[in-house]
Amino acid sequence: MTDVAVAGNRTAWRGRLGTVPAAARPSLDARRALQLVLAAIWLIDGALQFQGFMFTKGFSQMIGGTADGNSAVVAKPITWNATLVDHHLVLFNAIFATIQLLLGLGIALRPAARVAQAASVVWSLGVWWFGEGLGGVLSGAASPLNGAPGAVIIYALLAVLLWPPGREASAPFTAARAVGAHVARVLWAVLWLSLAYFALTPGNRAPQGVSGMIAGMESGEPLWLQHLQKGAASLVGSQGLAASVALAAALVLIAAGVYLPAGIAKGTLVLAIVVAAFIWVFGQALGGILAGGGTDVNSGPLLALLALAYWPLRTVPAVPATVPAVSEARATSGTDA
Amino acid sequence: MTPAWILDIFAAVMLVVAAVSAARLAGARPWQPRPSQQGAVVTDTDISHLLMSIAMAGMLAPGLTTLPNGAWVAVFAVLTAWFGYRVTRDYQSSGARALAAGHCAPHLVHSAAMVYMFLAITASGASGGGMAGTGGMSKLSVPTLAFVFAFTLAAYTIWDLDQLSGLWRGLVPTVAGAAGPALAGVPAGALHAEAMTRSGAGGARSGLVTVLDSPGTVVGCRVAMGVTMTLMLFLMI
Repeated sequence: MTDVAVAGNRTAWRGRLGTVPAAARPSLDARRALQLVLAAIWLIDGALQFQGFMFTKGFSQMIGGTADGNSAVVAKPITWNATLVDHHLVLFNAIFATIQLLLGLGIALRPAARVAQAASVVWSLGVWWFGEGLGGVLSGAASPLNGAPGAVIIYALLAVLLWPPGREASAPFTAARAVGAHVARVLWAVLWLSLAYFALTPGNRAPQGVSGMIAGMESGEPLWLQHLQKGAASLVGSQGLAASVALAAALVLIAAGVYLPAGIAKGTLVLAIVVAAFIWVFGQALGGILAGGGTDVNSGPLLALLALAYWPLRTVPAVPATVPAVSEARATSGTDA
Repeated sequence: MTPAWILDIFAAVMLVVAAVSAARLAGARPWQPRPSQQGAVVTDTDISHLLMSIAMAGMLAPGLTTLPNGAWVAVFAVLTAWFGYRVTRDYQSSGARALAAGHCAPHLVHSAAMVYMFLAITASGASGGGMAGTGGMSKLSVPTLAFVFAFTLAAYTIWDLDQLSGLWRGLVPTVAGAAGPALAGVPAGALHAEAMTRSGAGGARSGLVTVLDSPGTVVGCRVAMGVTMTLMLFLMI
Protein backbone atom coordinates (compact mmCIF):
# COMPACT_ATOMS: atom_id res chain seq x y z
CA MET A 1 0.00 0.00 0.00
CA THR A 2 1.16 3.44 -0.80
CA ASP A 3 0.59 6.78 0.81
CA VAL A 4 -0.05 8.80 -2.25
CA ALA A 5 -1.29 6.27 -4.69
CA VAL A 6 -4.98 6.50 -5.24
CA ALA A 7 -7.73 4.03 -5.78
CA GLY A 8 -9.87 3.71 -8.84
CA ASN A 9 -8.89 5.12 -12.15
CA ARG A 10 -7.49 8.33 -10.81
CA THR A 11 -3.89 9.22 -11.36
CA ALA A 12 -1.68 8.04 -8.59
CA TRP A 13 1.64 9.23 -7.42
CA ARG A 14 3.46 6.03 -7.16
CA GLY A 15 6.34 8.20 -6.20
CA ARG A 16 5.39 7.93 -2.58
CA LEU A 17 8.47 9.14 -0.86
CA GLY A 18 10.63 6.18 -0.25
CA THR A 19 9.06 4.00 -2.90
CA VAL A 20 10.41 5.99 -5.80
CA PRO A 21 12.98 4.00 -7.73
CA ALA A 22 16.45 4.93 -6.57
CA ALA A 23 17.45 6.26 -9.95
CA ALA A 24 14.58 8.71 -9.95
CA ARG A 25 14.84 10.03 -6.38
CA PRO A 26 15.92 13.62 -5.78
CA SER A 27 19.66 13.79 -5.47
CA LEU A 28 21.25 13.94 -2.02
CA ASP A 29 24.87 14.95 -1.98
CA ALA A 30 27.03 15.29 1.12
CA ARG A 31 26.28 18.97 1.54
CA ARG A 32 22.54 18.45 1.30
CA ALA A 33 22.70 15.60 3.79
CA LEU A 34 24.51 17.85 6.26
CA GLN A 35 22.01 20.63 5.61
CA LEU A 36 19.22 18.23 6.51
CA VAL A 37 20.90 17.33 9.79
CA LEU A 38 21.17 21.05 10.52
CA ALA A 39 17.50 21.42 9.65
CA ALA A 40 16.56 18.59 12.01
CA ILE A 41 18.51 20.24 14.82
CA TRP A 42 16.70 23.53 14.22
CA LEU A 43 13.39 21.68 14.27
CA ILE A 44 14.30 20.05 17.57
CA ASP A 45 15.35 23.43 18.95
CA GLY A 46 12.00 24.88 17.97
CA ALA A 47 10.12 22.06 19.66
CA LEU A 48 12.27 22.43 22.79
CA GLN A 49 11.50 26.13 22.89
CA PHE A 50 7.80 25.28 23.33
CA GLN A 51 8.50 23.51 26.65
CA GLY A 52 6.68 24.83 29.67
CA PHE A 53 9.83 26.14 31.36
CA MET A 54 10.43 28.55 28.50
CA PHE A 55 7.13 30.27 29.26
CA THR A 56 8.14 31.02 32.86
CA LYS A 57 10.21 33.78 34.41
CA GLY A 58 13.05 31.27 34.53
CA PHE A 59 13.61 31.76 30.80
CA SER A 60 13.97 35.54 30.96
CA GLN A 61 16.17 35.16 34.03
CA MET A 62 18.30 32.69 32.10
CA ILE A 63 18.74 35.25 29.32
CA GLY A 64 19.49 38.02 31.80
CA GLY A 65 22.06 35.84 33.52
CA THR A 66 24.20 35.72 30.40
CA ALA A 67 24.95 39.43 30.84
CA ASP A 68 26.98 38.66 33.98
CA GLY A 69 30.68 39.26 33.57
CA ASN A 70 30.32 40.99 30.21
CA SER A 71 31.26 44.60 29.55
CA ALA A 72 28.50 47.19 29.60
CA VAL A 73 28.46 47.40 25.81
CA VAL A 74 27.64 43.73 25.56
CA ALA A 75 25.59 43.42 28.74
CA LYS A 76 23.16 46.31 28.31
CA PRO A 77 21.44 44.96 25.19
CA ILE A 78 21.18 41.55 26.86
CA THR A 79 19.55 43.07 29.94
CA TRP A 80 17.22 45.10 27.74
CA ASN A 81 16.28 41.96 25.82
CA ALA A 82 15.72 39.97 29.03
CA THR A 83 13.45 42.72 30.38
CA LEU A 84 11.50 42.88 27.14
CA VAL A 85 11.04 39.12 27.07
CA ASP A 86 10.07 39.13 30.73
CA HIS A 87 7.27 41.62 30.08
CA HIS A 88 5.85 39.71 27.11
CA LEU A 89 7.04 36.24 27.98
CA VAL A 90 4.41 34.11 26.28
CA LEU A 91 4.28 36.15 23.10
CA PHE A 92 8.03 36.40 22.62
CA ASN A 93 8.77 32.80 23.45
CA ALA A 94 6.04 31.60 21.12
CA ILE A 95 7.60 33.73 18.37
CA PHE A 96 11.10 32.45 19.16
CA ALA A 97 9.93 28.84 19.05
CA THR A 98 8.00 29.34 15.83
CA ILE A 99 10.97 31.01 14.13
CA GLN A 100 13.24 28.09 15.00
CA LEU A 101 10.64 25.59 13.85
CA LEU A 102 10.30 27.44 10.55
CA LEU A 103 14.07 27.63 10.09
CA GLY A 104 14.25 23.85 10.33
CA LEU A 105 11.35 23.28 7.97
CA GLY A 106 12.64 25.95 5.60
CA ILE A 107 16.11 24.46 5.27
CA ALA A 108 14.52 21.08 4.59
CA LEU A 109 12.31 22.53 1.86
CA ARG A 110 14.60 22.92 -1.13
CA PRO A 111 13.00 26.02 -2.68
CA ALA A 112 13.23 27.80 0.69
CA ALA A 113 16.63 26.49 1.72
CA ARG A 114 18.65 29.57 0.74
CA VAL A 115 16.32 32.00 2.45
CA ALA A 116 16.05 29.83 5.55
CA GLN A 117 19.81 29.38 5.82
CA ALA A 118 20.40 33.11 5.42
CA ALA A 119 17.74 33.80 8.05
CA SER A 120 19.32 31.23 10.35
CA VAL A 121 22.63 33.11 10.22
CA VAL A 122 20.94 36.39 11.18
CA TRP A 123 18.89 34.68 13.89
CA SER A 124 21.91 32.84 15.29
CA LEU A 125 24.01 35.98 15.53
CA GLY A 126 21.16 37.77 17.29
CA VAL A 127 20.65 34.94 19.77
CA TRP A 128 24.39 34.61 20.32
CA TRP A 129 24.55 38.17 21.58
CA PHE A 130 21.11 38.87 23.06
CA GLY A 131 20.38 35.38 24.34
CA GLU A 132 23.71 33.76 25.08
CA GLY A 133 25.93 36.71 26.03
CA LEU A 134 28.36 35.88 23.21
CA GLY A 135 28.69 32.40 24.66
CA GLY A 136 30.60 33.71 27.68
CA VAL A 137 33.62 34.25 25.44
CA LEU A 138 34.31 37.72 26.84
CA SER A 139 33.17 37.06 30.39
CA GLY A 140 35.57 34.24 31.18
CA ALA A 141 32.73 31.77 31.69
CA ALA A 142 33.33 29.90 28.45
CA SER A 143 34.40 26.28 28.47
CA PRO A 144 34.36 23.61 25.77
CA LEU A 145 32.34 21.52 28.18
CA ASN A 146 29.54 24.07 28.63
CA GLY A 147 29.14 24.86 24.96
CA ALA A 148 31.73 27.54 24.22
CA PRO A 149 31.92 29.57 22.09
CA GLY A 150 28.12 29.31 22.15
CA ALA A 151 26.21 26.60 20.39
CA VAL A 152 24.22 29.06 18.35
CA ILE A 153 27.31 30.59 16.70
CA ILE A 154 28.14 27.12 15.40
CA TYR A 155 24.70 27.04 13.78
CA ALA A 156 25.64 30.23 11.94
CA LEU A 157 29.03 28.84 10.96
CA LEU A 158 27.43 25.67 9.62
CA ALA A 159 24.84 27.64 7.66
CA VAL A 160 27.64 29.60 6.00
CA LEU A 161 29.84 26.59 5.30
CA LEU A 162 26.91 24.58 3.93
CA TRP A 163 25.61 27.49 1.89
CA PRO A 164 24.17 26.26 -1.40
CA PRO A 165 26.33 27.75 -4.14
CA GLY A 166 25.01 28.29 -7.63
CA ARG A 167 27.62 25.98 -9.06
CA GLU A 168 29.24 22.81 -7.86
CA ALA A 169 32.88 23.63 -7.30
CA SER A 170 35.25 20.74 -6.90
CA ALA A 171 36.45 20.98 -3.33
CA PRO A 172 38.52 18.78 -1.05
CA PHE A 173 35.72 18.72 1.54
CA THR A 174 32.11 19.85 1.75
CA ALA A 175 32.72 22.91 3.92
CA ALA A 176 35.10 24.28 1.28
CA ARG A 177 32.44 24.47 -1.40
CA ALA A 178 30.90 27.71 -0.22
CA VAL A 179 33.89 29.69 1.05
CA GLY A 180 36.88 27.92 -0.41
CA ALA A 181 39.29 25.51 1.23
CA HIS A 182 41.60 28.14 2.69
CA VAL A 183 38.90 30.14 4.45
CA ALA A 184 37.16 26.98 5.62
CA ARG A 185 40.38 25.64 7.15
CA VAL A 186 41.04 28.95 8.88
CA LEU A 187 37.52 28.97 10.36
CA TRP A 188 37.99 25.40 11.58
CA ALA A 189 41.36 26.20 13.16
CA VAL A 190 40.07 29.35 14.84
CA LEU A 191 37.10 27.49 16.34
CA TRP A 192 39.04 24.53 17.73
CA LEU A 193 42.02 26.62 18.88
CA SER A 194 39.60 28.90 20.72
CA LEU A 195 38.14 25.82 22.41
CA ALA A 196 41.65 24.77 23.41
CA TYR A 197 42.25 28.23 24.84
CA PHE A 198 39.00 28.13 26.82
CA ALA A 199 39.91 24.71 28.20
CA LEU A 200 43.00 26.28 29.77
CA THR A 201 41.46 29.38 31.32
CA PRO A 202 41.95 29.61 35.10
CA GLY A 203 38.42 28.60 36.00
CA ASN A 204 38.51 25.52 33.81
CA ARG A 205 41.96 24.30 34.74
CA ALA A 206 41.29 24.65 38.49
CA PRO A 207 41.57 21.35 40.40
CA GLN A 208 37.80 20.89 40.64
CA GLY A 209 36.99 22.80 37.45
CA VAL A 210 36.22 19.92 35.11
CA SER A 211 34.73 17.53 37.65
CA GLY A 212 32.60 20.30 39.13
CA MET A 213 31.21 21.19 35.73
CA ILE A 214 30.35 17.57 34.95
CA ALA A 215 28.80 16.99 38.37
CA GLY A 216 26.80 20.19 38.01
CA MET A 217 24.90 18.75 35.07
CA GLU A 218 23.53 15.74 36.95
CA SER A 219 20.47 17.38 38.43
CA GLY A 220 17.20 16.16 36.95
CA GLU A 221 18.85 13.74 34.55
CA PRO A 222 17.81 10.08 34.24
CA LEU A 223 19.66 7.68 36.48
CA TRP A 224 21.76 6.12 33.73
CA LEU A 225 23.07 9.52 32.69
CA GLN A 226 23.67 10.52 36.30
CA HIS A 227 25.70 7.34 36.79
CA LEU A 228 27.79 8.14 33.72
CA GLN A 229 28.41 11.68 34.89
CA LYS A 230 29.18 10.65 38.45
CA GLY A 231 31.70 8.16 37.09
CA ALA A 232 33.32 10.75 34.84
CA ALA A 233 33.40 13.37 37.60
CA SER A 234 35.01 10.97 40.06
CA LEU A 235 37.48 9.80 37.40
CA VAL A 236 38.66 13.36 36.84
CA GLY A 237 38.43 14.13 40.56
CA SER A 238 40.70 16.98 41.48
CA GLN A 239 42.91 16.50 38.44
CA GLY A 240 41.39 19.48 36.70
CA LEU A 241 44.69 20.76 35.36
CA ALA A 242 45.71 17.44 33.83
CA ALA A 243 42.24 16.95 32.30
CA SER A 244 42.25 20.46 30.87
CA VAL A 245 45.72 20.06 29.39
CA ALA A 246 44.77 16.70 27.83
CA LEU A 247 41.58 18.17 26.40
CA ALA A 248 43.43 21.22 25.08
CA ALA A 249 46.07 19.01 23.43
CA ALA A 250 43.36 17.00 21.70
CA LEU A 251 41.64 20.21 20.57
CA VAL A 252 44.89 21.63 19.15
CA LEU A 253 45.50 18.38 17.28
CA ILE A 254 41.99 18.57 15.86
CA ALA A 255 42.52 22.21 14.85
CA ALA A 256 45.66 21.28 12.93
CA GLY A 257 44.15 18.17 11.41
CA VAL A 258 42.57 19.84 8.39
CA TYR A 259 45.99 21.01 7.25
CA LEU A 260 47.38 17.48 7.27
CA PRO A 261 47.21 14.85 4.48
CA ALA A 262 43.78 13.32 3.95
CA GLY A 263 44.54 10.06 5.76
CA ILE A 264 45.70 11.80 8.93
CA ALA A 265 43.00 14.44 8.59
CA LYS A 266 40.38 11.69 8.72
CA GLY A 267 41.92 10.46 11.95
CA THR A 268 41.72 13.91 13.53
CA LEU A 269 38.15 14.34 12.33
CA VAL A 270 37.22 11.05 13.99
CA LEU A 271 38.91 12.38 17.11
CA ALA A 272 36.83 15.57 16.76
CA ILE A 273 33.64 13.51 16.63
CA VAL A 274 34.70 11.47 19.66
CA VAL A 275 35.57 14.62 21.62
CA ALA A 276 32.26 16.20 20.58
CA ALA A 277 30.40 13.10 21.79
CA PHE A 278 32.36 13.14 25.05
CA ILE A 279 31.54 16.82 25.57
CA TRP A 280 27.87 16.28 24.72
CA VAL A 281 27.34 13.33 27.04
CA PHE A 282 29.51 14.28 30.02
CA GLY A 283 29.82 18.05 29.87
CA GLN A 284 26.41 18.94 28.49
CA ALA A 285 24.25 15.99 29.59
CA LEU A 286 22.81 15.67 26.06
CA GLY A 287 21.95 19.36 26.08
CA GLY A 288 20.03 19.01 29.33
CA ILE A 289 17.05 17.91 27.27
CA LEU A 290 16.25 14.92 29.47
CA ALA A 291 16.08 17.20 32.49
CA GLY A 292 13.34 19.18 30.78
CA GLY A 293 15.16 22.50 30.63
CA GLY A 294 17.23 22.38 27.47
CA THR A 295 16.68 25.21 25.00
CA ASP A 296 18.77 23.49 22.34
CA VAL A 297 20.90 20.43 21.79
CA ASN A 298 24.02 22.43 22.80
CA SER A 299 27.32 22.33 20.94
CA GLY A 300 28.20 18.61 20.95
CA PRO A 301 26.16 17.48 17.94
CA LEU A 302 27.04 20.66 16.05
CA LEU A 303 30.77 20.09 16.50
CA ALA A 304 30.33 16.55 15.20
CA LEU A 305 28.31 17.84 12.24
CA LEU A 306 31.01 20.39 11.55
CA ALA A 307 33.64 17.64 11.55
CA LEU A 308 31.63 15.73 8.94
CA ALA A 309 31.58 18.86 6.77
CA TYR A 310 35.38 18.71 6.70
CA TRP A 311 35.57 15.02 5.81
CA PRO A 312 37.80 14.65 2.71
CA LEU A 313 35.80 13.99 -0.42
CA ARG A 314 36.74 11.63 -3.15
CA THR A 315 37.53 13.34 -6.42
CA VAL A 316 34.56 13.00 -8.76
CA PRO A 317 35.09 13.02 -12.53
CA ALA A 318 33.77 16.14 -14.20
CA VAL A 319 30.21 15.89 -15.56
CA PRO A 320 30.05 15.99 -19.37
CA ALA A 321 28.69 19.18 -20.89
CA THR A 322 25.67 17.42 -22.36
CA VAL A 323 23.68 15.30 -19.97
CA PRO A 324 20.30 13.64 -20.26
CA ALA A 325 17.31 15.68 -19.14
CA VAL A 326 16.67 13.53 -16.12
CA SER A 327 20.17 13.96 -14.77
CA GLU A 328 19.92 17.67 -15.41
CA ALA A 329 16.72 17.93 -13.42
CA ARG A 330 18.22 15.97 -10.58
CA ALA A 331 21.39 18.02 -10.57
CA THR A 332 19.40 21.23 -10.50
CA SER A 333 17.31 20.11 -7.58
CA GLY A 334 20.44 19.14 -5.75
CA THR A 335 22.48 22.25 -6.34
CA ASP A 336 19.71 24.66 -5.67
CA ALA A 337 19.22 23.50 -2.17
CA MET B 1 3.55 25.31 31.61
CA THR B 2 2.99 25.67 27.88
CA PRO B 3 -0.02 27.96 27.34
CA ALA B 4 -3.22 26.13 26.44
CA TRP B 5 -3.80 28.27 23.36
CA ILE B 6 -0.58 27.00 21.82
CA LEU B 7 -1.59 23.40 22.44
CA ASP B 8 -5.02 24.26 20.99
CA ILE B 9 -3.40 25.50 17.78
CA PHE B 10 -1.54 22.23 17.35
CA ALA B 11 -4.76 20.35 18.19
CA ALA B 12 -6.53 22.31 15.45
CA VAL B 13 -3.81 21.35 12.98
CA MET B 14 -4.35 17.72 13.95
CA LEU B 15 -8.08 18.05 13.30
CA VAL B 16 -7.30 19.39 9.82
CA VAL B 17 -5.06 16.37 9.23
CA ALA B 18 -7.89 14.12 10.43
CA ALA B 19 -10.33 15.78 8.06
CA VAL B 20 -7.97 15.43 5.10
CA SER B 21 -7.28 11.79 5.91
CA ALA B 22 -11.00 11.08 6.25
CA ALA B 23 -11.67 12.76 2.91
CA ARG B 24 -8.96 10.72 1.24
CA LEU B 25 -10.36 7.54 2.71
CA ALA B 26 -13.87 8.42 1.62
CA GLY B 27 -12.66 9.30 -1.86
CA ALA B 28 -10.70 6.09 -2.21
CA ARG B 29 -13.68 3.91 -1.18
CA PRO B 30 -11.46 1.08 0.01
CA TRP B 31 -14.51 -1.02 0.83
CA GLN B 32 -15.43 -1.35 -2.83
CA PRO B 33 -13.97 -4.18 -4.91
CA ARG B 34 -11.24 -3.07 -7.31
CA PRO B 35 -10.21 -4.49 -10.63
CA SER B 36 -6.60 -4.37 -9.55
CA GLN B 37 -4.63 -3.94 -6.36
CA GLN B 38 -5.04 -0.18 -6.54
CA GLY B 39 -8.11 -0.20 -4.34
CA ALA B 40 -6.25 -0.90 -1.14
CA VAL B 41 -3.35 1.43 -1.69
CA VAL B 42 -4.30 4.19 0.68
CA THR B 43 -5.99 2.28 3.42
CA ASP B 44 -3.40 1.60 6.06
CA THR B 45 -1.52 4.88 6.04
CA ASP B 46 -4.63 7.01 5.78
CA ILE B 47 -6.32 5.11 8.58
CA SER B 48 -3.14 5.54 10.58
CA HIS B 49 -3.09 9.29 9.89
CA LEU B 50 -6.75 9.60 10.81
CA LEU B 51 -6.45 7.74 14.11
CA MET B 52 -3.21 9.40 15.14
CA SER B 53 -4.43 12.90 14.45
CA ILE B 54 -7.64 12.32 16.42
CA ALA B 55 -5.69 10.80 19.30
CA MET B 56 -3.11 13.60 19.33
CA ALA B 57 -5.80 16.27 19.21
CA GLY B 58 -7.30 14.65 22.31
CA MET B 59 -3.95 14.64 24.07
CA LEU B 60 -3.33 18.29 23.30
CA ALA B 61 -6.81 19.52 24.14
CA PRO B 62 -8.65 17.47 26.79
CA GLY B 63 -11.97 18.64 25.38
CA LEU B 64 -11.25 16.64 22.25
CA THR B 65 -10.56 13.38 24.07
CA THR B 66 -12.41 10.55 22.38
CA LEU B 67 -11.30 7.19 23.75
CA PRO B 68 -9.74 6.07 27.03
CA ASN B 69 -5.96 5.76 27.04
CA GLY B 70 -6.14 1.97 27.21
CA ALA B 71 -8.17 1.82 24.02
CA TRP B 72 -5.71 4.05 22.20
CA VAL B 73 -2.83 1.91 23.41
CA ALA B 74 -4.53 -1.13 21.90
CA VAL B 75 -5.24 0.68 18.63
CA PHE B 76 -1.69 1.87 18.18
CA ALA B 77 -0.22 -1.41 19.31
CA VAL B 78 -2.09 -3.04 16.43
CA LEU B 79 -0.87 -0.37 14.02
CA THR B 80 2.68 -0.77 15.31
CA ALA B 81 2.50 -4.51 14.76
CA TRP B 82 1.08 -3.97 11.27
CA PHE B 83 3.71 -1.48 10.18
CA GLY B 84 6.38 -3.59 11.86
CA TYR B 85 5.27 -6.47 9.66
CA ARG B 86 5.34 -4.20 6.60
CA VAL B 87 8.80 -2.86 7.40
CA THR B 88 10.09 -6.39 7.93
CA ARG B 89 8.71 -7.38 4.57
CA ASP B 90 10.21 -4.28 2.93
CA TYR B 91 13.52 -5.03 4.60
CA GLN B 92 13.54 -8.53 3.19
CA SER B 93 12.99 -7.19 -0.31
CA SER B 94 15.06 -3.99 -0.30
CA GLY B 95 17.39 -4.20 2.70
CA ALA B 96 18.31 -1.27 4.92
CA ARG B 97 16.75 1.15 2.45
CA ALA B 98 13.39 0.13 3.91
CA LEU B 99 14.43 1.75 7.18
CA ALA B 100 16.14 4.82 5.77
CA ALA B 101 13.72 5.82 3.06
CA GLY B 102 11.15 3.11 3.11
CA HIS B 103 7.46 3.49 2.82
CA CYS B 104 6.30 2.19 6.18
CA ALA B 105 9.20 2.93 8.53
CA PRO B 106 7.98 6.45 9.44
CA HIS B 107 4.54 5.07 10.22
CA LEU B 108 6.08 2.39 12.39
CA VAL B 109 7.92 5.04 14.40
CA HIS B 110 4.80 7.23 14.62
CA SER B 111 2.68 4.33 15.84
CA ALA B 112 5.26 3.15 18.37
CA ALA B 113 5.64 6.71 19.67
CA MET B 114 1.89 6.89 20.17
CA VAL B 115 1.91 3.65 22.16
CA TYR B 116 4.73 5.04 24.27
CA MET B 117 3.01 8.35 24.91
CA PHE B 118 -0.29 6.80 25.95
CA LEU B 119 1.44 4.27 28.18
CA ALA B 120 3.53 7.05 29.72
CA ILE B 121 0.50 9.23 30.34
CA THR B 122 -1.35 6.31 31.89
CA ALA B 123 1.64 5.48 34.07
CA SER B 124 1.85 9.08 35.27
CA GLY B 125 -1.73 8.75 36.52
CA ALA B 126 -3.33 11.46 34.43
CA SER B 127 -7.04 11.17 33.87
CA GLY B 128 -8.60 11.80 30.52
CA GLY B 129 -5.38 11.37 28.63
CA GLY B 130 -4.85 15.04 27.86
CA MET B 131 -1.54 16.77 28.32
CA ALA B 132 -3.25 19.57 30.20
CA GLY B 133 -4.58 16.90 32.53
CA THR B 134 -1.04 15.89 33.34
CA GLY B 135 0.01 19.40 34.20
CA GLY B 136 1.73 19.62 30.86
CA MET B 137 5.15 18.81 32.24
CA SER B 138 4.75 15.36 33.78
CA LYS B 139 7.93 13.42 34.16
CA LEU B 140 7.85 10.26 32.15
CA SER B 141 9.17 7.04 33.57
CA VAL B 142 11.47 6.52 30.58
CA PRO B 143 12.28 10.00 29.23
CA THR B 144 15.19 8.61 27.24
CA LEU B 145 12.69 6.83 25.02
CA ALA B 146 10.87 10.10 24.38
CA PHE B 147 14.24 11.64 23.49
CA VAL B 148 14.99 8.87 20.98
CA PHE B 149 11.51 9.00 19.47
CA ALA B 150 11.64 12.80 19.16
CA PHE B 151 14.98 12.78 17.36
CA THR B 152 13.86 9.99 15.03
CA LEU B 153 10.60 11.74 14.22
CA ALA B 154 12.40 15.01 13.55
CA ALA B 155 14.75 13.21 11.17
CA TYR B 156 11.88 11.58 9.26
CA THR B 157 10.02 14.90 9.09
CA ILE B 158 13.01 16.69 7.60
CA TRP B 159 13.65 13.82 5.20
CA ASP B 160 10.02 13.90 4.06
CA LEU B 161 10.18 17.62 3.34
CA ASP B 162 13.42 17.31 1.43
CA GLN B 163 12.16 14.46 -0.71
CA LEU B 164 8.86 16.20 -1.37
CA SER B 165 10.50 19.43 -2.47
CA GLY B 166 12.94 17.41 -4.56
CA LEU B 167 10.00 15.84 -6.32
CA TRP B 168 8.57 19.28 -7.02
CA ARG B 169 11.75 20.17 -8.84
CA GLY B 170 12.58 16.91 -10.54
CA LEU B 171 9.30 15.06 -10.49
CA VAL B 172 9.22 11.31 -10.55
CA PRO B 173 5.57 10.32 -10.37
CA THR B 174 3.90 7.63 -12.36
CA VAL B 175 0.47 6.12 -12.74
CA ALA B 176 -0.56 3.59 -10.16
CA GLY B 177 -0.60 0.10 -11.47
CA ALA B 178 1.34 1.01 -14.56
CA ALA B 179 4.39 -1.05 -15.16
CA GLY B 180 7.61 0.47 -16.31
CA PRO B 181 9.86 3.26 -15.20
CA ALA B 182 8.80 6.40 -13.41
CA LEU B 183 8.22 9.49 -15.46
CA ALA B 184 11.33 11.22 -14.25
CA GLY B 185 11.78 14.85 -15.09
CA VAL B 186 8.16 15.54 -15.96
CA PRO B 187 7.29 19.03 -14.73
CA ALA B 188 4.73 19.48 -12.01
CA GLY B 189 2.24 21.29 -14.20
CA ALA B 190 2.19 18.49 -16.71
CA LEU B 191 1.57 15.91 -14.03
CA HIS B 192 -1.23 17.92 -12.52
CA ALA B 193 -2.74 18.42 -15.94
CA GLU B 194 -2.54 14.70 -16.54
CA ALA B 195 -4.16 14.05 -13.22
CA MET B 196 -6.96 16.45 -14.05
CA THR B 197 -7.53 14.83 -17.41
CA ARG B 198 -7.66 11.35 -16.03
CA SER B 199 -9.98 12.32 -13.24
CA GLY B 200 -12.58 14.05 -15.34
CA ALA B 201 -11.06 17.21 -16.74
CA GLY B 202 -11.04 19.97 -14.31
CA GLY B 203 -14.33 20.08 -12.44
CA ALA B 204 -14.42 21.35 -8.89
CA ARG B 205 -14.55 17.81 -7.54
CA SER B 206 -11.65 16.63 -9.64
CA GLY B 207 -9.67 19.66 -8.53
CA LEU B 208 -10.30 18.76 -4.91
CA VAL B 209 -9.43 15.15 -5.61
CA THR B 210 -6.20 16.24 -7.23
CA VAL B 211 -5.29 18.31 -4.20
CA LEU B 212 -6.17 15.51 -1.79
CA ASP B 213 -4.19 12.98 -3.78
CA SER B 214 -1.14 15.13 -4.30
CA PRO B 215 2.10 14.21 -2.55
CA GLY B 216 2.13 17.66 -1.00
CA THR B 217 -1.09 16.98 0.86
CA VAL B 218 -0.08 13.56 2.09
CA VAL B 219 3.44 14.49 3.08
CA GLY B 220 2.16 17.75 4.54
CA CYS B 221 -0.10 15.73 6.82
CA ARG B 222 2.75 13.52 7.90
CA VAL B 223 5.07 16.48 8.45
CA ALA B 224 2.41 18.18 10.58
CA MET B 225 2.04 15.00 12.63
CA GLY B 226 5.79 14.57 12.92
CA VAL B 227 6.32 18.13 14.16
CA THR B 228 3.41 17.91 16.58
CA MET B 229 4.49 14.54 17.93
CA THR B 230 8.08 15.76 18.40
CA LEU B 231 6.76 18.75 20.28
CA MET B 232 4.50 16.60 22.47
CA LEU B 233 7.34 14.25 23.35
CA PHE B 234 9.54 17.13 24.48
CA LEU B 235 6.68 18.62 26.48
CA MET B 236 6.28 15.32 28.28
CA ILE B 237 9.93 14.87 29.18
